[in-house]
Amino acid sequence: MKEFSPKIIGFMCNWCSYAGADLAGISRIKYAPNLRIIRVLCSGRVDPYIVLTAFEKGADGVLVAGCHPGDCHYISGNYQAEKKVKTTRKILKKAKIDERRLGLEWISAAEGQRFADVVNEFTALIKKLGPLQAEPQMVKAAKEEVADFRIRWLVGKEIDLLEKGNVYGEDVLQEEFDKVMDDIIGTQFLRNSILAALEENPMSAKELAEKLGVPTDSVVENLIQLKRGQKVRLIEDHPLRYEVSTW
Amino acid sequence: MYVCHCGLNIGAVVDVGAVTEYVKTLPGVVVAKESTYTCSDSGQWAIQEDIEKHNLSRVVVASCSPRMHGDTFMKTCEQAGLNPYLFEMVNIREQCSWVHTDKKEATEKAKDLIRMAVAKAWLLQPLERQKSPVHKSALVIGGGVAGIFSALYLANAGIKTYLVEKKPSIGGHMAQLDKTFPTLDCSLCILSPRMADVGKHENIELITYADIEDVSGYAGNFHVKVKKKPRYIIKDNCRLCGICTEKCPVSLLDEFNVGLKERKAIYIPFPQAVPNCYVIDSDHCLHITKGGCMLCEKNCPSEAIDFDQTAEDIEVDVGAIIVATGFQLYDATQKKEYGYGRYPNVITNMDFERLVGADGPTHGKVLRPSDEKPPQKIAFIQCVGSRDKQEGAEYCSRICCMATVKQATMLREKYPDADIYVYYTDMRTPGKGFEEFYQRGREQGIVFIRGKPGEIEEDENHNLIIISEDIDSGLILRNTLDLAVLACGLRPPEGIDQLARMLHLSRSPDGFIMEAHPKLRPAETAIPGVLLAGCVQFPKDIPDTVAQSGGAAAVAAELLTKEEIELSPVRASVDTDLCIGCGLCELLCDYGAVEVKRTDEGIKAQVVEVACQGCGVCAASCPRKAITIHHFTEDQLMAQVSGALVPEKVIS
Repeated sequence: MKEFSPKIIGFMCNWCSYAGADLAGISRIKYAPNLRIIRVLCSGRVDPYIVLTAFEKGADGVLVAGCHPGDCHYISGNYQAEKKVKTTRKILKKAKIDERRLGLEWISAAEGQRFADVVNEFTALIKKLGPLQAEPQMVKAAKEEVADFRIRWLVGKEIDLLEKGNVYGEDVLQEEFDKVMDDIIGTQFLRNSILAALEENPMSAKELAEKLGVPTDSVVENLIQLKRGQKVRLIEDHPLRYEVSTW
Repeated sequence: MYVCHCGLNIGAVVDVGAVTEYVKTLPGVVVAKESTYTCSDSGQWAIQEDIEKHNLSRVVVASCSPRMHGDTFMKTCEQAGLNPYLFEMVNIREQCSWVHTDKKEATEKAKDLIRMAVAKAWLLQPLERQKSPVHKSALVIGGGVAGIFSALYLANAGIKTYLVEKKPSIGGHMAQLDKTFPTLDCSLCILSPRMADVGKHENIELITYADIEDVSGYAGNFHVKVKKKPRYIIKDNCRLCGICTEKCPVSLLDEFNVGLKERKAIYIPFPQAVPNCYVIDSDHCLHITKGGCMLCEKNCPSEAIDFDQTAEDIEVDVGAIIVATGFQLYDATQKKEYGYGRYPNVITNMDFERLVGADGPTHGKVLRPSDEKPPQKIAFIQCVGSRDKQEGAEYCSRICCMATVKQATMLREKYPDADIYVYYTDMRTPGKGFEEFYQRGREQGIVFIRGKPGEIEEDENHNLIIISEDIDSGLILRNTLDLAVLACGLRPPEGIDQLARMLHLSRSPDGFIMEAHPKLRPAETAIPGVLLAGCVQFPKDIPDTVAQSGGAAAVAAELLTKEEIELSPVRASVDTDLCIGCGLCELLCDYGAVEVKRTDEGIKAQVVEVACQGCGVCAASCPRKAITIHHFTEDQLMAQVSGALVPEKVIS
């Protein structure tokens, strides 16, 4: 059998990691040929939506790399990248995708050897994990999730909330923040999964619960919310089934 | 679409012919050519000819890194009338042929990378560069020989120059040296006239005893905040009589004499200091630290002492910055096996310079520190803290071999009968007159022994015992000595971390500041308008430092003689239909480049174009996905992703 050769997309920041990759070349350091690099100006430019698109289109792994903490060419873009990756990993987990498939590394312009080591290690990891065999509906739900207004807002606000507290002047602890984020991700992911499933064909609450492997009452609860938001509507028929609103 | 062989750099690993054939099959590709050196004149001319002949709307070149020749080809396109932002580059050298050996894999990867770029190219938009006026002034950070010459070159060219030095006087390490190799010129005799020129130049504003607090802006338009520490001296009143120093009760180790001499808490760093002005060391002054004393103020005949002075905040606008913060000497106490700091008769090369200096602690007599007797057997040990991976410096410090030959020659003049040994790894003499100088040293009976001593031991009389292998003869030598001089290497300067971060400069693996290109742009950094002079880039001798200073000044002048510079159009822009004015972008932007304002369409985010750096954090974070970054749009990045993963759907 032919050895699995993973497809890996790399987003490298222009100033550190991309330059580190160039230095690996200048130093003629050899590494695994699976990575396809996309140059961005800052690791903070990497929108989780693009990461999910890469998984949707068949990437087995995505590697984001930026400047070392404190060394960001754009002052703090890499800290934002870190928060984005952290949340995206949580969402990948929901979609039953091993979160290690999304890598985040800090590589400076001087670290050609480290660049090669990182690529080799990441490629080996993805090889070990095997080809990505995710359910398209799950990936679609995850992709919708990273486009969600509330989640994007929270990701962007995380550092500010933890450093400066909320609008009431109260300190926000990391555990509290994580809990809020996890709750929203959980709820939102279920709703996105429901929508993705209903897009295939209309289903009753019970059928949905079976398909998604969640209790019927939480499906019903979220269906009501989705109906209120005019995302789904009821088909007046028997048994009662829901379909995606298309207006 | 042009695929480059780059001689054999790419062609030896990637099958350029096969790649070019493949490129022809990609939809929309009108011209697909291979070229030996695309960046050459003829290579560029061929592109320009094709642009005109085929009326090309996009150009893609697969060759080296865009960090190498991206600008070159953008200019090529621009000259042929194609908007330079309709050009895309594929890195099949640094990130493909140079890092892979399997020809088949490398060729397939090159095809993938090209497909990704072609996919992006279709979505490229023409962009126009905005122009911004240039501040016709420069900042030089560091007042050693590099900073002095950089500032003089600029000022003589009519450019207003701010020279900021953290110490109370300019002069740097060169002022501490006694003589220079290979000509044995007196170091201060050649430097101090230039220091004086700096002090009185009408175009130079010298700001000493000051730190850079913050730098913002971009080439042509930097805003710099400087904090100048108080000297507690009214310079205009001071007549340099020296009574204050006489009366001051506080004795401290003198930094200029590397701690071999004492100074007072009110002092002038060295006789030729510029500015020639006293300073009170606020960390040690009795009055400032504990209150009372004020002996200097009470005894000053000209009311020149002012304890009410406070730190001064200075803000300047400059178009270019030259970083010339030099180096620090390797800390020899780290090399425990040589006993520096424990054995009195082990000294460093800088200690030696001060001992041999006429104005030094011994008035130019080189004596054994333990008993102040003239030494009869002296050894120099090379590569202390250089070429030593364990000590964290793999590199050669370049100046220590010649500095040792110079010091040994000076010692020979003073002690014609002394036994002088140099323990070396390799004698490196690549410079004008260097080899000749070294050979003269040998002719004068200086003994050169190849081999780095493992350790130095000391006997009860503070004599030093060195056991080492003479690699040339294979013999084990045991040598008892009066004095050992450690040829310490050069390390990146103190505070380089902070400065590099402030200016967004990258550092090489050795810790020095990384230049824009190791061969062709040695005086520039990756940041436009920020230049390098002297040892902050890498250890070098005085002539090389002066040459690089001239280079940095020339590049600065090239920028500063322009009326305006073009700004990159890679910037954010807001889709006001989607924007709901939530303000997350404003919060996340480190440059204050997005402002949420009330407009006719409601509360909306607006991009301050000159401030925007194009990083894209706002675009990737916007909850409504209402912001895009020109040239790195979501569509373009998605096209690259698809190009890599879905070959058949490369262009939809």
